[in-house]
Amino acid sequence: MFTPVSWLKDYVDIDVTPEVLAAKLVAIGFEVEEIVYQNKKASNVVVGKIVDVQRHPNADRLRVTQIDVGEKTIQVVTNVPVVGGETIAVALDGAVLADGSTINEGELRGVRSEGMLCGLEEVGLTEDDVDGQKKGDILRFENGTALGINALDALGYNDVVLDIAVTANRPDCNSIYKLAKEVAVALGKECREPSVNYKTSGGNISDTLTVTVQNQLLCPRYMAAGVKNVRIFPSSPKIKARLRAVGIRPINNIVDITNYVLTEIGQPMHSFDRRELVGNEIVVRNARDGENIFSLDGKENKLDKSMLVICDSDRPVAIAGIMGGLNSGIKEDTAEVVFESAKFARDNIRRTSRTLGLRSDSSSRFEKGIDFASQEYALKRALTLVYESGSGDIVDGVIDVKIDFAKERKIRFTLKQLRDILGCGVPKDELISILTKLGIAVSEEDGALVAIVKEDREDIVGVNDIAEEFIRVYGYRHIRPTLFKYASLTSGGMNERMKVNDILKRRLCACGLHESVTYSFTSPDFADKLRLSADDKARNTIRLVNPLGEALSVMRTTLTHSMLETLAYNLTHFNKEAALFELARAYLPKSLPLEELPFEEERLCIGMYGDGVDFFSLKSAVEEGLDALRLTAEYKRSDRPYLHSGRAAEVLIDGKSVGFIGELHPSAAQTYGLENVRVYVAELSVESMYSVKNLAKPKFAAFSKFPTIERDLAVVVDEEVPVGDMLAAVKKAKIAHLTDVRIFDTYRSDQIGKGKKSVGIGFSFSSAERTLTDDEIAQQMTRILAVLKRKTGAKIR
Amino acid sequence: MKDKLDGIKCAALDIIERAENTSQLNDARVKYLGKSGEISLLMRDMATVPKEERPAMGKLVNELRAAVENALNAKTELISQLELDRRLKEEAIDVTMPAKGKRTGTLHPLTLITQELIEIFANMGFSVTEGPEIESDLFNFQLLNIPKDHPSRDMQDTFYVNDSILLRTQTSAMQARIMTQSKPPIRVVVPGKVYRSDDDASHSPIFNQFEGLAVDKHITMGDLQGCLQTFAQKIFSKDTKVRLRPSYFPFTEPSVEVDVTCSMCHGKGCRVCKGTGWVEILGAGIVNPAVFDACGIDSSVYSGFAFGFGIDRIAMIKYGIPNIKMLYENDMRFLKQFN
Repeated sequence: MFTPVSWLKDYVDIDVTPEVLAAKLVAIGFEVEEIVYQNKKASNVVVGKIVDVQRHPNADRLRVTQIDVGEKTIQVVTNVPVVGGETIAVALDGAVLADGSTINEGELRGVRSEGMLCGLEEVGLTEDDVDGQKKGDILRFENGTALGINALDALGYNDVVLDIAVTANRPDCNSIYKLAKEVAVALGKECREPSVNYKTSGGNISDTLTVTVQNQLLCPRYMAAGVKNVRIFPSSPKIKARLRAVGIRPINNIVDITNYVLTEIGQPMHSFDRRELVGNEIVVRNARDGENIFSLDGKENKLDKSMLVICDSDRPVAIAGIMGGLNSGIKEDTAEVVFESAKFARDNIRRTSRTLGLRSDSSSRFEKGIDFASQEYALKRALTLVYESGSGDIVDGVIDVKIDFAKERKIRFTLKQLRDILGCGVPKDELISILTKLGIAVSEEDGALVAIVKEDREDIVGVNDIAEEFIRVYGYRHIRPTLFKYASLTSGGMNERMKVNDILKRRLCACGLHESVTYSFTSPDFADKLRLSADDKARNTIRLVNPLGEALSVMRTTLTHSMLETLAYNLTHFNKEAALFELARAYLPKSLPLEELPFEEERLCIGMYGDGVDFFSLKSAVEEGLDALRLTAEYKRSDRPYLHSGRAAEVLIDGKSVGFIGELHPSAAQTYGLENVRVYVAELSVESMYSVKNLAKPKFAAFSKFPTIERDLAVVVDEEVPVGDMLAAVKKAKIAHLTDVRIFDTYRSDQIGKGKKSVGIGFSFSSAERTLTDDEIAQQMTRILAVLKRKTGAKIR
Repeated sequence: MKDKLDGIKCAALDIIERAENTSQLNDARVKYLGKSGEISLLMRDMATVPKEERPAMGKLVNELRAAVENALNAKTELISQLELDRRLKEEAIDVTMPAKGKRTGTLHPLTLITQELIEIFANMGFSVTEGPEIESDLFNFQLLNIPKDHPSRDMQDTFYVNDSILLRTQTSAMQARIMTQSKPPIRVVVPGKVYRSDDDASHSPIFNQFEGLAVDKHITMGDLQGCLQTFAQKIFSKDTKVRLRPSYFPFTEPSVEVDVTCSMCHGKGCRVCKGTGWVEILGAGIVNPAVFDACGIDSSVYSGFAFGFGIDRIAMIKYGIPNIKMLYENDMRFLKQFN
């Protein structure tokens, strides 16, 4: 809410600087986002009078002017066709213009120039801001304007405007008057009311106009008043300056009065040209489906029956609370006016405004909420302004169609309740004094206090609200910090899921990986980039209704896509290698369109490229992660479409696939701009790992004190035989005393034969009871060889 | 005989003296002390020595043997020392060459801050939990005293999936879930991703919040201040001061904005705090009784406080990160810094 300090001063005697005032407002809950000094939009731009104009000796289009700027006369070279005698705005040496640029004296085509003639833009204004000023022209003043004064001051731009952020619970404070009341409380001053004082000149509004409200739910109050013999003219400079200061363009006296009252009292008003109201009646009703109205901004609006309209006997003449119709607007020759001051239902205005894409100062205030107290006050205030400005003759009487409403609310409370909420002492005198200043009367009834809250404070409904009203004025500095002084003991800490995530993250870091965090939504083209088949489940994405753009429109079903984008980003940003992991969710709908909340599956994604990085670097990281959770995986070939068909594996835990590891398929790599590096990527579901057993603490197991005996074996198998199968076969054979088996070497040569490989396997034997004999070991080795022969066709080399 | 002994002694000691390596020394040992070495042969020759001279002669030969052995041993020790020295010299490496093995990776700054926050609040008895990011309107708004079409919805730009499902705009949604699902005493914090449809220089459409909720008998605004002061002093510095300012959130009443003294300038005023000495870090308040009523907690018995803040913002303040977008670009040059 733009709040000119001069306007506040109409109601409160402010004797502090705008900065102090802002700080005081912040302390009672009104954040001041900015303090705008209107006359500081540009500095060192002053009023000057052109006393002499000569041709520029070296340039036909330039003129050399002598400008009287009060204390001295300066020479300015300009291309503006001035003739001399004009009073204009000139930027002096060192001036800073509204766009931040600086003007310095210098030479223009060999002639000294000590400044620059300025137009609207240079001082941060537009043609709407200054009467009679043409766009593109320099600023011109009436002769006789004091020379040397700030040009903005001379234009009447000398107010200080506070930009106050009014919170949603205080819609009443979207008005100068209510803010003035708060200012008065903040400064400990009295607040005066905007005056209501006018004389009517006969007739009676009810004789010539009837108002019927068909939907009182959406329009609980509708007031109307009439003005005859209207004269349309521009508003006074003061009204125009104030409207401009709050960002409203002055139009004419009648329209300006409604906008002035809207700003001052916070009540949106509307003015109808009386002669356009067919049938001498106003009907407030729901629109009919398909009904149309051209609003004042010239836009055609298709209405439906959820929307409220103001009609005459024939047709809609305004969209209630949002904008008037073009058909009934105030014109140059309007002679009779009907003022509307009404209360419309907040939510309905909000919906209609959203649906029509039509917003106005009026609708934004109705959306926030208007109290019952404002309609009558605003209407009378508007009539006062009509009367004071001589804009017409006020017809006797007002029309007021309204539902019954409570004028005040009583809240019973005790000082103890307040103390229990705030945790600080609440002096009774201070409490009553503060509430009274805020317009809340307090009385005592059998030991309790009773606050009487008026209708304009719809936000105050209970004891907590009373506590807040008190403390925001009394000051939070009175609250002393305590730490659960009277509360129960609780023991804190993470749940299992978070502990598992934490362990995984720390272990993966230990493996040299860096944690990344990427957006949860992505572009739907990820599925094609990853070459997913048409029926791949990962294509079933949850789509946002209102995404920021197509590129961020679907919730991801895989982390791999983001990982690849991140790797590509790093590659193009001078990172020769990257090793990253992300632990985040994939969003998997149970059905589409979404009927219930989706499954948010925690996933681990690892991605890497760079020197020395290969499939087994990736595998090592994955196994480290699993090992941290006491898990071991098995691997079998994977045929995922985005992976290198020869270098990809499903990762199995307890026989079930939890994800994959592999090298990125060259075609997929190309779609990400990763074709010049080999990229390794893994994505695993972490959901099956959230079990207490994965968090088990290490437990000591006794180990043998007898020697371990090592044996090596080299066997030849077909190239296609996975060594994993060989190890599995040995492990499954339950070889006595075998404590470890491992592959130490694979070897291919012509001697071994084409399509064959030699596999070196190491075995460790040990017994807890005794030293094993060579014979025993030899027996077991024979068994092992037999098993390998039978299961994998191995031959001893 | 004696002359011979002296000759052998001279020759042997000379050879030993001149020996340069172990193998020459071994040769010398064989030559003199070996089975058919010169000194061993002397013993054999003893038979030719007259009987009465034998003891004296034997003594001389033994002395000779001892002298040669001593010389050999001394020289052996010397040479092995020299050889070891030579080997070590040969094996010298450039100790400024890089270390082997991969460096430990890094946790994301958001994770680092979250871990720090969790520790701080866990120590104050808060349990830690998470919740769904795709959330129902009910939990994200309605149960938090934000009905449909309420103006306070304008405070947050919401991404919708449909009329009743949205991307949570605040971890406060978990307040409603926790309060409808558990009984007081409640003391819980919730870190997590939240979503708002803002995307400009200072906003990211995704960011991380940290929510806190305490519900019990006798919880006051003083407890809120104490809890937040403890938090602020641990996450920033011991001398951090906390200031409450009145504000508005639909689900707390009274509501406050919480400022802390700027950790950059310790309240003196700098660029980070725009010269005010204070930095706004979070919103908080006493749980609105209307929320208790909606969630099925008896507001006449229980009271509580709640707070919420942006983890991203804390990370930016603490680490001096100039732009929120950097947190989501994952440039290795950025990530590696958070070691």
